[in-house]
Amino acid sequence: MATTVTTQAPAAGVRRRLGARLAGGELQQFILRRIGQTILVLFCVATITFFLVRLTGDPVQAMLPPTATLDQENALRAQLGLNQPLIIQYLSYLGGILHGDFGQSLFFHQPAFDLILDRLPATIELASGAMVFALIVAIPAGIIAAVKRGSAADSSVVATVLVGQSTPAFFVGIILILVFAVNLHWLPAGGMGGFNHLILPAITLGLYSMAMIARLLRSSLIDQLGEDYIRTARSKGLSRWQVIRDHGLQNAALPVITIIGLEIGSLLGGAILTEQVFSWPGVGRLTVEAITNRDFPLMQAIVLFLSVIFVVANLVVDIAYAFLDPRVRLS
Amino acid sequence: MKSWSTNRARLARVAGAATAMLVVGSVLAACSGSSSDSSSGGSDTLTVSIASDVVSLDPQLQGDLTSMSVADNIFDTLTVRGSDNSLQPGLATKWAQINPLTWQFTIRDGVTFTNGEPLDANAVAFSINRLLDPATKSPIVELVNVKDAVVVDDHTVNFEMKAPDPVIPAKVSLFGGVVLPPKLFQQEGAAAFAADPVGSGPYEFVSRKQADEIVLKANPDYWGTKPAVQNLVFKVMPDPASALAALQSGEVDIVTGITKDAANQLGTNPDTTVESTPGIRTYSINLDTITSGPLANADVRNALNYAVDVPTIISTVMAGAAEQTPTLIPSSVYGFDSSVKPFSFDPAKAKQLLASAGYPNGFSTTLTASNADSALAQALAGQLSQVGVNAQVNVVDAQTAKSDIIALNKRLDGGMYLVANSGWTLDSVSFLQSIVKSDRRSSRWNNPQADQLVVAGETDTDDTARVQAFSQLQSLLKDQAPFVYLFDINNTYAMKSNVKWTMPVTGILSMSSATFG
Repeated sequence: MATTVTTQAPAAGVRRRLGARLAGGELQQFILRRIGQTILVLFCVATITFFLVRLTGDPVQAMLPPTATLDQENALRAQLGLNQPLIIQYLSYLGGILHGDFGQSLFFHQPAFDLILDRLPATIELASGAMVFALIVAIPAGIIAAVKRGSAADSSVVATVLVGQSTPAFFVGIILILVFAVNLHWLPAGGMGGFNHLILPAITLGLYSMAMIARLLRSSLIDQLGEDYIRTARSKGLSRWQVIRDHGLQNAALPVITIIGLEIGSLLGGAILTEQVFSWPGVGRLTVEAITNRDFPLMQAIVLFLSVIFVVANLVVDIAYAFLDPRVRLS
Repeated sequence: MKSWSTNRARLARVAGAATAMLVVGSVLAACSGSSSDSSSGGSDTLTVSIASDVVSLDPQLQGDLTSMSVADNIFDTLTVRGSDNSLQPGLATKWAQINPLTWQFTIRDGVTFTNGEPLDANAVAFSINRLLDPATKSPIVELVNVKDAVVVDDHTVNFEMKAPDPVIPAKVSLFGGVVLPPKLFQQEGAAAFAADPVGSGPYEFVSRKQADEIVLKANPDYWGTKPAVQNLVFKVMPDPASALAALQSGEVDIVTGITKDAANQLGTNPDTTVESTPGIRTYSINLDTITSGPLANADVRNALNYAVDVPTIISTVMAGAAEQTPTLIPSSVYGFDSSVKPFSFDPAKAKQLLASAGYPNGFSTTLTASNADSALAQALAGQLSQVGVNAQVNVVDAQTAKSDIIALNKRLDGGMYLVANSGWTLDSVSFLQSIVKSDRRSSRWNNPQADQLVVAGETDTDDTARVQAFSQLQSLLKDQAPFVYLFDINNTYAMKSNVKWTMPVTGILSMSSATFG
């Protein structure tokens, strides 16, 4: 490896300076600042969610049958603390969060956070499966399409990507079920279980990410391969594949990693349609249930939880990016 | 030089770590997530798909048919419905209204919960009183007239009433009539009990994975007819097309919560059957008769009923899976009067009635409906427009539709709204209580005679007098037409051809009668 380093592109000098900056405690400062921002963002999310969900209607009316009397409705509202002034409800909500109490689901009669934790393993399994599928397909596809630009292979990758990005999950999902579960009997139609149960939902959910990553990798790599330093590297006698691997991909990977990070965040946010079609017991369906039941504490907890995932995913991407690209400053 | 190689190493490490995490994560999750592979197969496991998860396995903290269906297999109720829909002894062997404010129930001898705890009068009183305690936060509202349940002796419980209620025996056939084991419950607390419920029913709770499945096994010591199938699995499958695909691929035996239209996906597959049996969910259009205008006029309201071609709507929009109702009460319900006939489809008569009421060119109004019923609302508006009534369809989400119906502002939903009522007590009062009597939440009709008849039906301790009141009320409802009467929809479900089971009219999934063969 060391021999290739001597032939490095001009970027190497800039990278050296990054090492110096990071050593100067800039990273710690950056992370601290970002944690401060994160807390502010989460506070805003908690506040906005609290008031927004209360615009969706009355959960007590959603819980009771229409034959309930007004007295019964008022009694239940009082028991749930929903008859208190809004500001008192808000303060007790914030106080609860500080103590790690995200409230009790009105509908399921369980702590809201426990319900999310219950569903989280399913969501992580599905998101991981989808991402693994997306990467396994997208990376080779993107590279081949870029390197063999204009070829039949490129066109078929581009066409697949287009289909992958524009076909809704409920359609892909049901087609996969009809083919692989109903007709071929190879895989189960739904539910969570062993690895077999994961395959179809992971493909369905991962299709979009796959398409996005493949497309981005292709265009990013095409850009890099047209750069001067690639020509320089080639002129120094490196093989075509060495140039692509050690130079082109290095630089083309940067925007792709950003997207992968953000995609992981959004996959973990739950995949409502995929979970619905494959009867997958994840966070996405819990979100729908919370909204349809007007389950305020559960809605609040889910939104806050998803915000944490997104903020953390962003933070990780930013840090990774700064590590990998010296042109990005940690400020 | 050094920094570049460090950087490369970092890139490789980050990428490697990310990939490793994903792979390990997915493999781990795939392994740890796998429960017993409960797909149906042997004739000792029956798998039933349900469209939504249960709200709680604590039978007193739920108020929906799906949750009650699961609870119904684990728990017993004081009374039960026979296959002919008549009220039969359950945990109570007999019951009587010993005075207008006391219902007395005699509790079956020798019944125990599956943990061995005896099911006696004390357990019944404990259960009823817990339900009535506001601190329980129960969404079950039917026992509103019960003040207290009192133990008389080991096998006798009295319900002390705030107001007379002749429907109590029917009201304890489901939700309100579930009996819990008091000792275990008090020992464990509500949360632990809901996680591992213990009842006295035909099945015992085994396990639950939220939003995924609930596994039960037959109770070998059940006091009643023991279930033929040993293991019962409820699979939560929210998407009807996927649930039907799972039936075709053999993963489930019965698919519930589907429409007739969706079931057509199965085609003419000899391995599956689609059943459509009588149900109780009854549709009507609620008319604002209290605001002055065309709908305050009984002739206009009659005209609307003549203008709607209910049989055609049933055969098209409802795919044939419904039965026309003459008024608000379906034919399987106590108090239904078969001598009151449905309105015929007669647009000429509708036009003539509109003209004589002073609306020869019809009028404009709105028709509000839940988004689940938008096709039905569009079809109805189309038919009304044929006689000159221009009903603009407003579609709202289901929860908003429900809230608006019970809102204090009775004009909130405009001139007309489409609504479905279900009365699982199978007593006429359930179909009338909140929409007919003028002071009730959802009533938009002011008729003193109707109010009197509702009171008679709700409180009269004499059955004959009640039935008579319901008959008179049905004639009055037809005559005054404060609603446009439509139909009650069938219960539609699909099964593997080798499964024998009939869904009760209430839609409750009591599975102990199911057999393979």
